[in-house]
Amino acid sequence: MRPLPLPDLGNPPLTSASRLLTWQAWRQRDVLLKAMAVGIVSMLASAAAPLLLGGAIDSGLASGFGRELLIWCGWMLAAAAAIVVSGVFSHTWDVESWLRASFAFSGLVGDKASRAGHAITKRLPTGEVVAAVANDALRAGDMFAMAGRFTGGVVTYAVVAVYMLSQDLVLGLVVTIGIPVVAAILALLVRPLQARQRVHREATGRLTALGADTVSGLRILRGIGGEDVFAGRYAQQSQEVRRRGVRVAAVQSVLDGLQVLLPGLLVALVLWLGARAVVRGDLTSGQLVTFYGYAAFLAWPVQMATQMLQMTTNAVVSARKMLDVLRVTEATPQAATTAPEPPSGSDLADEASGLVLRPGRVVGLVCADPDVSAALATRLGRVDDDAEAGTPVTLGGVRLAELDKEMLRHRLVVAEATPHLFSGILGEELDARGRATEAELMAAVLVADAQDVLDSVPDGLAGELPEKGRSLSGGQRQRVALARALLTDPEILVLVEPTSAVDAHTEARIAERVAEARRGRTTLVVTASPLVLDHVDEVVLLSPAGTVVTSGTHGELLARPDDDGAAYRSVVGRSMAEEPHPSDDHDLEGAAR
Amino acid sequence: MSATTAPPPAADPRRLPIADGTQVKRTVGRLFRRHRGSLGGVAALHTVAAVAGLAGPFLLGRFIDEVSGGTTLARVDTLALILVGAVVVQAVVTRYAQRLSMIFGERVFAELREEFMETVTRLPLSTVEKAGTGDLVARTTNDVNKLQHAVRFGVPRVLVCVVTIGLTLVASFLTDPLVALGLLVGVPIIWLATRWYLQRATPGYLRESAAYATLNGTITEAVEGARTTDVLWLGSRVRRRLRRDLSEAFAAEKYTLGLRLRLIPSLDTAVAVAPIAVVLWGAWLASQDLASVGTVATIALYAHQMGGPVFDLVFWLDELQVAAVALARVVGVGLVGPDRVATGEVPTSEEVHAHEVRYAYREGHDVLHGISVDLRPGERLAVVGPSGAGKSTLGRMLAGIHPPTGGSVTVGQVPLVDLPLEDLRGHVALVTQEHHVFVGSLAENLRLADTAASTDALWEALEAVDARAWTDALPGGLATEVGSGGHPLSPAQAQQVALARLVLLDPHTLVLDEATSLLDPRAARHLERSLNAVLTGRTVVAIAHRLHTAHDADRVAVVDDGRIAEIGPHDELVAAGGDYARLWHSWQHE
Repeated sequence: MRPLPLPDLGNPPLTSASRLLTWQAWRQRDVLLKAMAVGIVSMLASAAAPLLLGGAIDSGLASGFGRELLIWCGWMLAAAAAIVVSGVFSHTWDVESWLRASFAFSGLVGDKASRAGHAITKRLPTGEVVAAVANDALRAGDMFAMAGRFTGGVVTYAVVAVYMLSQDLVLGLVVTIGIPVVAAILALLVRPLQARQRVHREATGRLTALGADTVSGLRILRGIGGEDVFAGRYAQQSQEVRRRGVRVAAVQSVLDGLQVLLPGLLVALVLWLGARAVVRGDLTSGQLVTFYGYAAFLAWPVQMATQMLQMTTNAVVSARKMLDVLRVTEATPQAATTAPEPPSGSDLADEASGLVLRPGRVVGLVCADPDVSAALATRLGRVDDDAEAGTPVTLGGVRLAELDKEMLRHRLVVAEATPHLFSGILGEELDARGRATEAELMAAVLVADAQDVLDSVPDGLAGELPEKGRSLSGGQRQRVALARALLTDPEILVLVEPTSAVDAHTEARIAERVAEARRGRTTLVVTASPLVLDHVDEVVLLSPAGTVVTSGTHGELLARPDDDGAAYRSVVGRSMAEEPHPSDDHDLEGAAR
Repeated sequence: MSATTAPPPAADPRRLPIADGTQVKRTVGRLFRRHRGSLGGVAALHTVAAVAGLAGPFLLGRFIDEVSGGTTLARVDTLALILVGAVVVQAVVTRYAQRLSMIFGERVFAELREEFMETVTRLPLSTVEKAGTGDLVARTTNDVNKLQHAVRFGVPRVLVCVVTIGLTLVASFLTDPLVALGLLVGVPIIWLATRWYLQRATPGYLRESAAYATLNGTITEAVEGARTTDVLWLGSRVRRRLRRDLSEAFAAEKYTLGLRLRLIPSLDTAVAVAPIAVVLWGAWLASQDLASVGTVATIALYAHQMGGPVFDLVFWLDELQVAAVALARVVGVGLVGPDRVATGEVPTSEEVHAHEVRYAYREGHDVLHGISVDLRPGERLAVVGPSGAGKSTLGRMLAGIHPPTGGSVTVGQVPLVDLPLEDLRGHVALVTQEHHVFVGSLAENLRLADTAASTDALWEALEAVDARAWTDALPGGLATEVGSGGHPLSPAQAQQVALARLVLLDPHTLVLDEATSLLDPRAARHLERSLNAVLTGRTVVAIAHRLHTAHDADRVAVVDDGRIAEIGPHDELVAAGGDYARLWHSWQHE
């Protein structure tokens, strides 16, 4: 078996679900063909059993325990060996077929998620993308897993039908027509069953959601009360699910009964007609045993055909859902033709606000409305080409969207206010570029004042950070993200509110160390904290409308007697008056006054 | 938060227990005993159905024997009618047997999950705070759902298989014990192969589901962090991780495939060899006049028929084993002991005192080193200090969440942890960053705090927290469905709902642990009024990371390394020129 995942994901057609499925089938044609061939062998070997048993019985009746019987038994052993051997290969290749398909689809969806950026969350709920891998890729794979056995079933059905018709036309017709008719009648009942199953599944889904909701808020329930109400509510829905289940049982059990009755009656009919033929001398006892065997056996390929139909339908539905993900266009695609790389030390300029970042300066950006300054910082990072088309940002005079993306991402990094922390080894998660030495890691941790994180995560840098850094406090998460941003070590670094969730002691230390670490390198810090602004080379004040008003050092701006100075003081001077300031915002603990 | 995040490496108390084999068996035994009546009925019906199902091969064998002795068409008609009768009986009984067993499965499963939820909502406060909700959510959703398949279908199916196999063997021996011996050829193969397989299958399938869970986790992270992935150029890293997860899933699949590739041929061999053995052995017996060809045909067909149930049984046993692991996690929740026993003492006042409080998450590693503080009724105490100093731990002690490892926290002379939880809530409440809005109506969300609250009381509480305007505008008023899937509430509105709950709960002391720090900055000023309404007239401990809270508080406690370094009114501390003063000056930029 080829180890999976395969290195090449390929370039799938996105035009339709069936195109996508046939594309994958063609890509794995080798294993599919093998599965089909061995499926045919396996089913034919199974189909031989009733025939050989009938032959053995006839020979036993005719000549007793002798050479002829031993030959028949020899054939039965050969068929048994064929079943055992082909069974091994058939299962192996069915599983391989399934894995090849579902892993290929998972890989494609995952690849899209890793490249699409912001666009994927904008277009689809997270749950749907996850379901595309967790459900749809596996379901689409089912069809491929079934293909071998299905083919074997079809071929065997035809062979057995021809054999029976050649032996006894009437009995042959009864069996070969009777079985599909029985299957069709049973299929009629499947629809009302599925309707009730759907209702039951939906009720179960609500119950699960209710349980998850109750447990997610358990700290509140145990802290404030209402546990009984919620346990009661869950029990109520649980009983609703049970009642729905009983309604499913009513239909399901009728179907189960019919599954016994209809094929059973068919077998009885075959036995009756056959036995009369035996009495008349048109058929041997052994042939009757064979027909009896086939009346039961042929239900199997028919069942496979029904399953295959179901799986194909499911696969098409799943393929459509996967296409929804695969069709998402990247938020910041690589330009078809990229502009030449601007020399290092180029100015970064935002035309809408008039902000120009000169090389080598550590600058603070202050605005009465923190959303405005954060939006400016975000577009400096080129997050969404469509949304940013009207607010051009240039590096060395070239628009960001025209630059080579990898080069841009390495030279310019914007660390947003609520960055995502990924699960993994802490040391590796900090080192987004994968090139830092342990000393560099420790230095960045020190700058971000995140040494306590090393104690919080068992085994420190070698320890495991959970999803979203959940085991860390808000402040710790922010400092880990800051260390990660610093370690990318870009030519231009933009930090948005890097200290909004840490205490004042820590903020003071971080402010000093970050300014020191980035001294002489282009850096923009969006903040209104005086502790941070005190350490930057220059502060730029942005109007609430988003244009540059003035700039200067923190001290200068604080001391400036004009309107700009007053505006600046009102943003950063949080503790200067009793009344809440119009911009007294970050300090949410102020609410506790 | 910070102090509590240092997880002890050994015997992690933050993990919920998992039941061992004996405890799981006891639970299963208890469930079966409780339902032995229904279980017996189900088994009886399936037995009747299985007996009727044995008629076909039996009648066929009889017929073959009669043909060789010469028989009539009338006799054929009779045998055929008997068979039709048997088929009808089998079908009708199967219908009722299946219905009864499915209803049985539904009832047992409903009981199991309701008991589980009952236990979960009774978990000790300290366990809920320590263990977090992630593991519990997984048990409520994944594990309960995994059990569903096993309880609803697995148990009845195993029952049917066992009955069918057993009865087919019995019928074979009744038909002709000598010929039936040939059937037993397959038994040792099936026994050994199944034993070998079942010993290895569970870890194999658990590894598989873990591998897929990891893969789904990676995809979830990739989507949720898509923006960060793009901005920090982490795409190739995400792709590497996906490949690694897929490789692990492949390895897990390959392992279980290997297991099945030994099981399947063994079962195939047993199932295919049994009829051959019967024919050979039976034919020899027939040649010695010890058996008839008809009985040989009957038993050979029985041998043939047993293949299906044997395969079915082995794979369901496998599923039941996997389900047992989920059951162990579900039952495990019930093993958490109570963290407090109410002594029945009644507080004599509303004064909260902490005396020499120590706390260790791990033995020998105190996070708090004997903290004493007396809260004055109605005062605002701000707790400040660096991250990891023990502020949040102290807050939890003061709110009675955990019993302290040393010293005591009392209200009116009674230790907080000696009060029943229902009473404790009326004295002290902890308010954290969490503001979960439950699925349900707005009224239901508020009535948590006071199940008997009148509609007027609800409106008053909303009015008090300044939430009247937007709640009035809701499409269905108090009956509006909120929470996941309902009418969306902004974080600020959710926080106001949380505050309105506090108004209804009406404790005299509140511990605020960074209660508003996750809020949208723009909502802060609006909420300030809401919060003030709640705080008025109560004793407040505010754990803060911002200094001006401290400035406005009646007293400030500076916590450092598990001790109170300084405590007193803001002005005094500033005048004293200690750590607090230094910090304050840098904050002031003086």
